[in-house]
Amino acid sequence: MRMIKELEARSETDSDLLFQHIRLAGQPTIFIAFRSLIDLPATLNDLYQRAAWVADQPERGSLGEEITEPEEEALLALLLGGQALLWHENGNRFASLTPIAKSLSRSIESPTTENVLRGSISAFVEDIDTNIGLIRKHEPSGSLHTRDFRLGSSGQKRVSFLYKEGVIDAKLKESITQRLVQNAERDAGDLQQLASLLGFPRWTLVTKFNTSELPQEAETALNEGKAVLLLERMPFAIILPSLMWDMFAVQNDRNFPAIFMMLIRFLRMLAVLTNIIIPGLYVALVSVNPDVLRIEMALTIAKSRVDVPYPSLVETLLLLFILELTLEASIRLPKSIGPTVTMVGGIILGQAVVSAKLVSNLLIIILAATSISSSVVVGFQNSFSIRLFKYLLLVLSAMYGVIGLVAGLVVICAYLASVTSFGIPYLELYKPGRKSNG
Amino acid sequence: MKRARNKAIAAVLVCLLIMLLLGGCWDNKDINHRSLPIVMGIAKRESQYLVVLQIPEPGLGATKIRLVEETGTTISEIVDRISKNMESQIDLLHLKVVLFEKGYAEEGVNDSVETFMRAHSLSPKTMTAICDEPINLFFRNIDSFNKNNGTILINFFEKNAGWNPHISADRVWELFRSIHSYTRDTVIPIVRSGTGTVIESNGSGVIRGGKLVERLTSDQTLLINMFNGISAKGKIEVMDHATVEILSSSIRRRGSIEDGHPVVKGRISLKVSLIETRGQPSQQQIKKEVEALLSDRFDAMLKKLKAHQADVLGAGQLFRTQYSRDQLERWRTDYFPSLNVDIKFDTVIQNTGKLKADA
Repeated sequence: MRMIKELEARSETDSDLLFQHIRLAGQPTIFIAFRSLIDLPATLNDLYQRAAWVADQPERGSLGEEITEPEEEALLALLLGGQALLWHENGNRFASLTPIAKSLSRSIESPTTENVLRGSISAFVEDIDTNIGLIRKHEPSGSLHTRDFRLGSSGQKRVSFLYKEGVIDAKLKESITQRLVQNAERDAGDLQQLASLLGFPRWTLVTKFNTSELPQEAETALNEGKAVLLLERMPFAIILPSLMWDMFAVQNDRNFPAIFMMLIRFLRMLAVLTNIIIPGLYVALVSVNPDVLRIEMALTIAKSRVDVPYPSLVETLLLLFILELTLEASIRLPKSIGPTVTMVGGIILGQAVVSAKLVSNLLIIILAATSISSSVVVGFQNSFSIRLFKYLLLVLSAMYGVIGLVAGLVVICAYLASVTSFGIPYLELYKPGRKSNG
Repeated sequence: MKRARNKAIAAVLVCLLIMLLLGGCWDNKDINHRSLPIVMGIAKRESQYLVVLQIPEPGLGATKIRLVEETGTTISEIVDRISKNMESQIDLLHLKVVLFEKGYAEEGVNDSVETFMRAHSLSPKTMTAICDEPINLFFRNIDSFNKNNGTILINFFEKNAGWNPHISADRVWELFRSIHSYTRDTVIPIVRSGTGTVIESNGSGVIRGGKLVERLTSDQTLLINMFNGISAKGKIEVMDHATVEILSSSIRRRGSIEDGHPVVKGRISLKVSLIETRGQPSQQQIKKEVEALLSDRFDAMLKKLKAHQADVLGAGQLFRTQYSRDQLERWRTDYFPSLNVDIKFDTVIQNTGKLKADA
């Protein structure tokens, strides 16, 4: 009796906590649940039917699960987890039962950040069970295992760790499990928290998580022996480890003839190189090593730069800055206004900045090439890395010309070679059943 | 742990700072603040150099060509002085052609070539040529034709533009090599301003030890190009009975010493195509005539070269392993004049072209 009073007191601060007085098989009972989490009419309907069915023949057991030693905390946790409670007045007994839940997720839709030309277009949603279901649909295999972990100080954030037994690297599986168990009390509300939970360094220039909205990609990753993490309320799969090759290849490429697949992937590699090199190359050729250019080209560039007041580094940084603003703005803006920004930023600003003699028109071409190529890589999380790397090359080129450019590339390669996650190098070509390093 | 990390961060910062401070990037000049001369003319008048630079001036609209003249005692001094007087810095790295006035070439261009090679002020790939008329006159004449961006003179020597196997092609490094090599001399093209065309090819000059010693006609230049393995593709040969176009040529040659005299034996294989025939010559006849004509020309040219002890064929290269270094030093004077060259021309009429000749 005391317990129900305490719970009732709570409904003053939790307005969606429901106390419904009902009679089940003639017994006065209180039905307790969060109204926002359950479908009340359907649940009650179901409850009455089951109560009648149980009342007919008492040996059929009781409604729900008896809670022997009710404590407020435990009861509240059950309620927050979406369960409903029944309190039988005679006997002062609590029982928990699973109500019919309200659907609080969107239905399965096509992906919003990844486009699929050929292949399955259903994407993950916020509901973790739906996501696991999608993966199981794609990979109906007995060796696919899911392990659930509860993370966070309240222990309510659910993380599912999916792997394929016999394919996954045993060390990888071991280290992920260990980290998830050890750091269970830490929050994993976002990927940064998850990264620190998994022991990834905070200062890294390449993303340690390969994310995908597509069950198909998750399936491929599982078959390659990678690990897939699903986070509650995250509509994408987190694939570990994230490798360089993920920047160039998606499983969907395999739905095209092999030659086209190779050409498309080659194109992506070229795009990455273009994006990283071109702005630096422009600066190197214009201000440090114009002797590398053919004379016709040199004269044309010189012509386009007549009256431009700033050195090439400044003008490039100026336009790159505006480019980054445009990219960022088009993420923030609603879809209906996005094209406007693109047009204003791209056409009007580009044209005006040339006719105002602030930058040379060759630079506009360079910038256009850069911005287009930055979006060619697979996964927008990877485009951040190459967007950043180009500034390193830009600065080095401005100082040391073409040599600086090449030195910068070496530095980038060295950095990428140094990145590992769970002992797997970032540059490794991941194959199922691979031999472990060392 | 934390201290080590701080140390690492400090080290990286210091490296970055050093990179910034020692970069020297404040001396970089943008391309529009550099003058990029593309042709340099050099003459020597009474122990004073006269340097003419042809500098395209990019601006809005058509590119204007600026001619700058200056005299002085050394070339680098002159370039410095021009650079000082101009509103932008002179960057000789884009220089494409160096023209020596004939008088200066006869006197010997060693000093300038040495300067170019040692000072790295211009690219060793720069083409060289001899100008058959006073250098300032030449530039003034071609200037009236220069309506585009001033690349006419370059295109004249470019393999993928106006070059043709009748013109020798010689670069600064090759000139430098010929000056210092025991066994190889070089030919450089001779040009003058034309009347209808901008430039007129005037055969080529034989350079021995940096001095212009003899002139060759364009037909002889073709033979030298052939001997040196530069494919003589596209060349038209005129005879009494026919004109043929050389489609490709290849050479095999071998040097040996017989009775103390150097002997070069070789075979030049030509694949030709008939372009024009007069009368009804048989293919056999045409082949014979081509071979006879080329042999005659070759012999005449060799005689001329021997007289000047100038080994522009690079025949001495074939004996580098057969003579001692002391002997090689005397190659030009002692051995080359007694050189025996036995070159056979082998002609294959690959196709009868657009004409059907009788077999």
